[in-house]
Amino acid sequence: MGAYLIKRFFLMFPTLLGVALVTFLLIRVIPGDVVELRYSGDRGSVSQEVIDKERARVGLDQPVWKQLATWLVGLAKLDFGTSMWTGAPIWEEIELRFALSLQVAVMATVIAVLLALPLGVLAALKQDTWVDYVIRIFSIAGLAVPSFWLGIVFILVLLVFFQWLPPMVYTPFWQNPWENMAQLIWPALAVGYRYSAVSTRMTRSAMLEVLREDYIRTAKAKGLWQSLVLRRHALKNAMLPVMTVVGVEFAFLIGGLVVTEQVFNLNGLGLLFVQAVAHRDYTLLQALVMLVAGIFIFMNFLLDVAFAWLDPRVRYA
Amino acid sequence: MATLLSVSSLATQFSTRSGVVKAVDGVSWNVEEGETVALVGESGCGKSASALSIMRLIAEPAGRIVAGSVMFKGRDLLALTEEEMRKVRGREIGMIFQEPMTSLNPVLTVGRQLTEGLEIHLGMTPTAARARALELLGMVGIPDAQRRLAQYPHQFSGGMRQRMMIAMALACEPPLILADEPTTALDVTIQAQILELMKSLSRKLGVAMLIITHNLGVVARYADRVNVMYAGKIIEQASARELYANPRHPYTEGLLRSVPRLDEPRRSKLAPIEGQPPDLTHLPQGCSFAPRCRWREARCLESAPELAAVAGEWHTSACWQAEHLGAVAAA
Repeated sequence: MGAYLIKRFFLMFPTLLGVALVTFLLIRVIPGDVVELRYSGDRGSVSQEVIDKERARVGLDQPVWKQLATWLVGLAKLDFGTSMWTGAPIWEEIELRFALSLQVAVMATVIAVLLALPLGVLAALKQDTWVDYVIRIFSIAGLAVPSFWLGIVFILVLLVFFQWLPPMVYTPFWQNPWENMAQLIWPALAVGYRYSAVSTRMTRSAMLEVLREDYIRTAKAKGLWQSLVLRRHALKNAMLPVMTVVGVEFAFLIGGLVVTEQVFNLNGLGLLFVQAVAHRDYTLLQALVMLVAGIFIFMNFLLDVAFAWLDPRVRYA
Repeated sequence: MATLLSVSSLATQFSTRSGVVKAVDGVSWNVEEGETVALVGESGCGKSASALSIMRLIAEPAGRIVAGSVMFKGRDLLALTEEEMRKVRGREIGMIFQEPMTSLNPVLTVGRQLTEGLEIHLGMTPTAARARALELLGMVGIPDAQRRLAQYPHQFSGGMRQRMMIAMALACEPPLILADEPTTALDVTIQAQILELMKSLSRKLGVAMLIITHNLGVVARYADRVNVMYAGKIIEQASARELYANPRHPYTEGLLRSVPRLDEPRRSKLAPIEGQPPDLTHLPQGCSFAPRCRWREARCLESAPELAAVAGEWHTSACWQAEHLGAVAAA
């Protein structure tokens, strides 16, 4: 298992390098750059000289290969540089927003898993009964309802029936856990519901598949309790595909909640992404893409670890 | 010898899209203590469904036991509660399945799969169960048991996995083992090893066995008595010796003629049974074998004969011409 995981671990780096190259080049395909956008408001009144000077300041006067080299060297030292738009160090720009997005993603994942596992298993056990139908309707609704709409409904319900609104300003968890949760639980619920729907359906179908396996019949023929057959023999096998769905969804949540963040007035990574693109803030955008891609790739590595841990056929292969 | 298991008028059906399949259609047979009984027939004749019905492991709700009784040690298994039945499975009746590749859980160690029954049925501590598991692996001829217990099924060969299945079935020393095509998925040389192992263990431990197979060679060598099944019904019952010497049903006779024999010239052709087994959703009105039978007459298509005793030791046949067939064979 050691050799397998070491190989998987080191495979992350070429993948990240590939992401870095593609990101770097694709961003530069979008017409316009940060300087042009900043002065586009007063077109004509800014001299070419000022523009050139500004370009030199953010490093856009350099040949592309040199910009790339500078950036890659910085990346290797985990130095993302400074934002082209604000001039602030990138890590400062990202830090709080990343903490917020990460927290929402973790909370949504916990909610989704807590809902999906019992519901999915129950639906599989009671296949084609009313229990199964209710769970399936619940999860199809989760897929059909956009998270941001559900978020709007939450806010309206809280306001109309309880005359209360979640806090509008972000408080880090370690400063005031209560205030922090009061704000973030709602987006986590709205997103977690859709997320749980995907996972419930996966759990159900994986369970149904496993329950038909010969080894489940063997386990029953040994006279094990139904609950032991489920826990020991079925669940461990059914978890493999479910984990994949949960892991990939989690990575998506880190940077993908653009609209839901707007609804709850959250200053998360999603919004920052949109701003970075709008401003052609190459350095910030590159950093964000690398961050999210890094989380995706690391998540996949964790999944490989989990697979190896759960499935001996992977471990000894 | 006392009767250990007595199946009477057992009927099991499956609802499918194309109709109700009468997989087991009123069969009766029994197993005495310590003996080996074979259930023989083509694929899909209801052999496995019979065994699963006894264990009450028919996949519901599609499958359903609709009639009959399964008396085991004086209790009707079909009347037990699910919890009572659970205590019978593995403890009183062990089961060996056909596919050792898929019948073992890939993510649990061999040791875990071997000891869980012991812990649950016999209340053994993990340490005691482990010691017993080592003993069992030795009994079924798996060397290096200490190391093997920590391994996973995919690290075992097919034959080793089937030995492992046997060890699992024997773990709690049940008085009866149901072996559902125990050697079908194995190489021929391994088949012989596994069957010899099962035979010697059943002798040594006094375990009765029901061997389900389509292999008549297996039957001849290992079974005391034979039940031949066709289309969900038993069509002939006899002691193994009697059945080979004196088959009294055209289907049995056909089966025997379709087996290659060492004492015949090598070039002689096998004589397969013509036609296909009947569709179990639409069984013919008369004898289900009639459409394929060489001896068919008008009455065969009208009504199905019941099992009736024929001359010979413990011999019954469900054929109108059973006695006549015997005369032909003797001539």
